[in-house]
Amino acid sequence: MRAEATAPLGRARFTELSLLVWVAALAITGFVAVVATERSSFSPAALVVPLVFLVLMLALHVFLVSIRFRGDQLLLPIAAGLTAIGLVLVQRLASDLLFQQLSWSIIAAGAFAATIVVPRDLTALARFKWTWALLGVLLLIAPLLPVIGREINGARIWIKIGPGSFEPWEAVKILLVIFFAAYLEEYREVLSHSQRRIGPFPVPPVPYLVPIVAMWGIAMLVMVFEKDMGATVLFFGLFLAMLFLATGEAFYAVIGLGLLILGGFVAYQLFGHVQARVDTWIRPFDEDLRFDTGFQLVQGLYALANGGLFGAGLGNGMPDRIPVVWSDFVFDAFAEEAGLAGALALLALYLVFVYRGMLIALRAPTMFLQLLAAGLSFIVALQTLVIVGGNLRLIPLTGITLPFVAYGGSSLVTNWMLVGLLMRVSQVSGRIRGGGP
Amino acid sequence: MSPISANIRSLTLTLAFAFLVTSIGAAYWTVLASDQLANDPFNPRLIAATNERPRGAIVDRSGASIATSEKTDTGFTRSYKDRSLAQVVGYASTRFGLSGVEAAYAESLIGQDPADPVSIWRARYLGDRAPAGQVVLGIDLKIQKAAADALGGRKGAILAMDPRTGAILASVSVPTYDANQIVDRSKQESAWAQVTADPGHPLLNRVTQGLYPPGSIFKVVTGAAALEAGFDPAKKLRVDDPYQADKSWGDYFVRSASRAHGLFDMSDGFRLSENIYFAQVGLEIGAARLTDYARRFGIGSTPKLDLAAAKGQLSDSGAIDRPTLLADTSYGQGELLVSPLQMALIYATIANGGVMPTAHYASEVRDNEGHVVREIAPGPQGQVISPTTAKTLTTMLVGAVAGPGAFAFGAKIPGVDVAGKTGTAENRPGQAPHGWFVGFAPAAAPTVVVAVIVENTLEGGVAAAPLGAQVMRAALGK
Repeated sequence: MRAEATAPLGRARFTELSLLVWVAALAITGFVAVVATERSSFSPAALVVPLVFLVLMLALHVFLVSIRFRGDQLLLPIAAGLTAIGLVLVQRLASDLLFQQLSWSIIAAGAFAATIVVPRDLTALARFKWTWALLGVLLLIAPLLPVIGREINGARIWIKIGPGSFEPWEAVKILLVIFFAAYLEEYREVLSHSQRRIGPFPVPPVPYLVPIVAMWGIAMLVMVFEKDMGATVLFFGLFLAMLFLATGEAFYAVIGLGLLILGGFVAYQLFGHVQARVDTWIRPFDEDLRFDTGFQLVQGLYALANGGLFGAGLGNGMPDRIPVVWSDFVFDAFAEEAGLAGALALLALYLVFVYRGMLIALRAPTMFLQLLAAGLSFIVALQTLVIVGGNLRLIPLTGITLPFVAYGGSSLVTNWMLVGLLMRVSQVSGRIRGGGP
Repeated sequence: MSPISANIRSLTLTLAFAFLVTSIGAAYWTVLASDQLANDPFNPRLIAATNERPRGAIVDRSGASIATSEKTDTGFTRSYKDRSLAQVVGYASTRFGLSGVEAAYAESLIGQDPADPVSIWRARYLGDRAPAGQVVLGIDLKIQKAAADALGGRKGAILAMDPRTGAILASVSVPTYDANQIVDRSKQESAWAQVTADPGHPLLNRVTQGLYPPGSIFKVVTGAAALEAGFDPAKKLRVDDPYQADKSWGDYFVRSASRAHGLFDMSDGFRLSENIYFAQVGLEIGAARLTDYARRFGIGSTPKLDLAAAKGQLSDSGAIDRPTLLADTSYGQGELLVSPLQMALIYATIANGGVMPTAHYASEVRDNEGHVVREIAPGPQGQVISPTTAKTLTTMLVGAVAGPGAFAFGAKIPGVDVAGKTGTAENRPGQAPHGWFVGFAPAAAPTVVVAVIVENTLEGGVAAAPLGAQVMRAALGK
């Protein structure tokens, strides 16, 4: 009886609703600030985009309530908040792309809702693991094919079908998490409790090593032929992290990192595009680079320097001087106008997202679901760290997107599907434990 | 408890640590490194300030305008008044960045001088910009005009400096360019293409960045080294043109400019600019001592200056490693390369009782209301030679201008004792030599030192000396 009485309250998802109020405040003040600074006057038309977006988010909330969804209540507001910051920044930096980005967020919301409803049984995903792997590899090499493959900004990571082009890597990352989770759940015993050891190092039976080495080979191929170092790092980093999650052998991760660095070193010697990236990272201010390959990074650092503690204020900086700022350098643009305070708040949002995801992983009932949730959370964390680290010149710059915030349709849609999957796992955790979150 | 829970926790902690490192990175660029980057001359934010707000004026020592900001319909435009100061003042272009004083004092000109931290903090954290400041140069437009007129269209450079303070009074480098065109949006592309393609390098400030063999004006360094080694300046040395120390020199000889045969003391050596005399002095005191004094006088090191300056060299290898190079270096040839600024500093040291001043173009930064925010008075660099040596050299340099048959007679000013030295610097084969004059006046209490170089003139130093006199007259009001 007691459960009956509290059920409506649980289903109402009050936490989610109250956090969405903050998202609304953020989106509306952000748009008002940007538009008012740009035009020195304010017209209500500027509120159309944030209002459409807020209605969309509210619709998702109502949808979750209506299907009596009992999963996590933090992930949706965080993703909504990040997407709202993204829209504000598109308005600020490339307002001609605003309509496209809004359309993409509507598609993303649809993809999210579909993910919540469609897979009736998450555990069943594990059964088709080789299908996912094959599909993933096909998507990964698709940009190399003639006709549909496209090279944009020097990286051959796009495919064009009909009117739209997208980066298949974005979809591949989710397929890979599912595949790794299923594969590792099945074989973790053999991989982690190997009988044979060379010194302190575990040596798993050769047949089980084959997929691991194959993954490394594919990662290197992507780097060499698609010229996308970001995807390589993300792809291989995910693989190592999940191997570690399943086996607890930090040794695999160390060896893997060694292989990655070795591969990177060989690539540096052999391929101009890798060399250019590394040189630009080490000495962007040198005479020969600062107006050439280092220009974008140097302009980004100028933007950061202008940020200070509290920023220049939305609309008051000059982040538009950074080439392609809306996709590669949104973090620097945001830090210029919101300052160190804003940059840290943004990083904190991602960290809370990742913690929440990892918490869901800890509470998940089966190992497959644990690996799935942890892998999905890890992807968001690594993608954020790699692009922000590149923007901050902590590591060489790679052209991957800042999740939810950077302009780009394929990224937004897949990240929202990722949120959907995480929330599905959280719902199962809740069910097994017999209570709401 | 699932067997992989511990792994999830370790991975989460690793990620949290990576986020911490990333946050520190963000703090580094936004706060710690922000000063340096905000003032980088290529930072478009610094340059945008040129258009959106008036930029501070650059004025000469009496307050006369050299560069000002003028309001147009598209914002503020920089206006440069004196073409002969183009390389010194530089330009503030939204397209090509900043150079010269515009770059070196960029923060001061937008009201954020480093000596005024309150304005900087207000600008950074409150977005509150102080009104533009003003940079006062040591340049005296009267002397500047005399120097520009003296050099006219000839390629070369003239520098006038106060030997007591190191303040630069005039600085001319020919060929020059019109900075107004570099900042004019309708003309800047073609103007820029033109100045950068010009084989005469009009953007180069020959005063501080032009490197030339010094020729005879370098003999004061050899003279100073010898005097301080106890060498007797009255001792007569035998000069017989052509000269070689011994047969190991093969077919290499030091030549005398006047094909001289006779006995020379040091005064004669300076007055008649005798290469063979100074070659012998150099060989007598040795390479180590000459190298030591050349270094003390700043040869081969970048002079301290508020603008860019070249460092030149003592020799290709940086050392004097063979007798013929020692002999050639002693009278200013060999592989020496110096800038007019470096030579002016050497003569300023002699004028100043052996103390080398620190050169500087700007002398004050003022705020919008005319209050002095920062005084630029870098103080002396130190005692290079003793006051006695300086006095002896001064006496001999007066003789080099006014003595019988003196080479530098063209630098004479009626009623004033001028100390100075001409030089005719041998060039690459097939090119006419460069003509030098460096000197100071009045010899008893010098207030101005002048360095003149005229590139590729068949007359050599004889062409340069009268230009030095014209500039000194303007400085002394004679």
